[in-house]
Amino acid sequence: MNKIMAHMVAFYPDREKSLEVARALIDGGCSYLEVQFPFTDPSADGVYIQRACKTALDAGFKVSKGFQLISKINEYANRVSNSRSSNSRRSESHSSNSRSSNRAPHEPGKLLPSHPPVFIMTYANLIFFRGIERFLEECKDAGVSGVIVPDLPPDSDEGLYSLGRKKGIKVIPVIMPNITDDRFDLVINNTEEYLYAAIRTGITGKFTRIDSSVLDFLERVNRAGAKVLAGFGISKKSQVEAVAPLVHSVVVGSAFIRVMEDAMEKIGKQTCLYQAVLEKIRELV
Amino acid sequence: MSGREGEKAGDRDGYKKGEREMRLVNNFFGEFGGRYVAEILNPPLEELKREFLKAMEDDEFKSEFESVSAEYTGRPTPLLFAENTTRMLGGGRIFIKLEGLANTGAHKINNVLGQLLLAKRMGKRRIIAETGAGQHGLATAALSAKFGFKCRVYMGKVDIERQRPNVFWMELYGAEVVPVEGVSGTLKDAVNEALRDWASSFEDTHYLLGSALGPSPYPDMVREFQSVIGKETKKQMEERGEKIEALVACVGGGSNSIGFFYPWLSYPWPSSKTPRLIGVEAGGSGDNIGEHAARMSGSGRPGIVHGYKSLFLLDDDGQVTPTHSVSAGLDYPGIGPQLAQLGKDGRIEFTKASDEEALTAVKTFAKNEGIVFALESAHAGAAALKLAPQLPKDRAIVINMSGRGDKDLFILAERMDRDNWHKFLRSIV
Repeated sequence: MNKIMAHMVAFYPDREKSLEVARALIDGGCSYLEVQFPFTDPSADGVYIQRACKTALDAGFKVSKGFQLISKINEYANRVSNSRSSNSRRSESHSSNSRSSNRAPHEPGKLLPSHPPVFIMTYANLIFFRGIERFLEECKDAGVSGVIVPDLPPDSDEGLYSLGRKKGIKVIPVIMPNITDDRFDLVINNTEEYLYAAIRTGITGKFTRIDSSVLDFLERVNRAGAKVLAGFGISKKSQVEAVAPLVHSVVVGSAFIRVMEDAMEKIGKQTCLYQAVLEKIRELV
Repeated sequence: MSGREGEKAGDRDGYKKGEREMRLVNNFFGEFGGRYVAEILNPPLEELKREFLKAMEDDEFKSEFESVSAEYTGRPTPLLFAENTTRMLGGGRIFIKLEGLANTGAHKINNVLGQLLLAKRMGKRRIIAETGAGQHGLATAALSAKFGFKCRVYMGKVDIERQRPNVFWMELYGAEVVPVEGVSGTLKDAVNEALRDWASSFEDTHYLLGSALGPSPYPDMVREFQSVIGKETKKQMEERGEKIEALVACVGGGSNSIGFFYPWLSYPWPSSKTPRLIGVEAGGSGDNIGEHAARMSGSGRPGIVHGYKSLFLLDDDGQVTPTHSVSAGLDYPGIGPQLAQLGKDGRIEFTKASDEEALTAVKTFAKNEGIVFALESAHAGAAALKLAPQLPKDRAIVINMSGRGDKDLFILAERMDRDNWHKFLRSIV
């Protein structure tokens, strides 16, 4: 079984449907849920996530409503988690088998909690404008485990990393293959538990061929000893299987949005996205 | 350049209030500036900073910049005494720096030249740029043709519709003009798209950013390349023995104003001998969200967008709001970080001119002086028309006409002579 960090955009295509998407991702067995708070200027995102952000903003996304959405998602995940844990007690021998075949290097012998931690991904301005401390407190209240803010890197972070430690919210740095040794060391020093590795240069959504340079990069990243979440341009099972053995979890983002766009185009805006998203995550897990 | 040095490692506070000596790379200007970018863009920005600092110490670079400026751009640009307007208003003596007579029609060419020479030194083969009104894209396309670079210009869909003539010129120079939809289809979306391109192309591509904003080192670098405007103006005014009371420039991102004000930023201040510096923003058609682009003289709020911290037009949730100006070049929600700080310190006074005031200024200077301001620069003209009558007759006010108005033909004719213009357009299609 592959550990997937599934990405979604809050309020895409609207509030109710994004909740539906979250349910599908949780039911389909994602290990982490990355919820993007849409910003008007998503300069690191490709066309799929750009379009999704625009739709989400048009659908009335507000930061406070985003936190409310996450609270709802967590309520749902808790219910699922409770029912699963009673199931898993019945089938303990089975799960220990699957554990030994799990090749992820960083969680030896530790069972994955069935309630996927929720991370927020967003851009600097939404956090900075609101006030970093306030944003992190709201994260805590909503049950958010961590934040990913690519344009607040260590040393240009406006205090995000230290405040995150103070408030108990993980701040997850993003690194890329072209990072210099100096910056790499700086990022590692700021890494608490998780490290987001974008496996190629560029922006989200374009297909990434998993070649030896990607594998070399992941090997370098793994030396940091963090739980590595790796993504950028991963949409197919074959890519997931090539990357999964080398990392803690594989990140899939634009691929889900593509599935949703296709479903809405084929069946219309009122279509139930649950089934389409569920099928996609089940294919990858 | 003696006595100035590059940014020291870890120095986050390169420019303090009251500090007169700017460095080549300051990174921060008081609380504004910085480099808030995804890790991926850090290496190309470091490379750019290193090359910029090296080039500025290199006589060969400086002499090439000067010789191309002379024989291609047409520097120095003239300084005109606006005799008739001065007489009409009866106040201070009005001078106009005719920067818009630079080849390609605006001051943008100065920065493009500097950065292209850097790109050549770095061995880049491809140039990307964003453009709003099209003037920066035009200058980039033209000089890319001259220097043999492959060139791609990102331009908002809405801007393409209202500045079609400049798209034609860019394509004539061999550039590829790519329409950008984004959220609003304007300059800010073009910046996002250029950043996206650069994130995967930086190895052979230079991002030629057109204003004194963006992540460090752009604000510092663009200021230095545009400082030629102010240095020339100062010399030209001294040669004529004029006493400058005020300098006036329009402010979109702020590249013409920071370059124009440059020599006076190091003057003691406040002091009666030091000229006032006045920045004019787009007042647009009203004070509501989406009707203007006034950050300093309006409702700009601290934010981090496009890789730098400054004042931006933001809604209560921190989202970037739409802007409006009759001049596409001022239609941008942020302002260069150094200008934001100088405004906060009170060194630069900010005011705004409405769409209508800018159009009136275009007419006034056309009729009185025989020159057509670009709509952007006409905002500075409008503010100067208000200020000049209040000044004593022996003092001078200098306006930077950063661009000339030829590009605005379609907008001006539509607004000033609608019926005849439509008749003409119908007759040719």
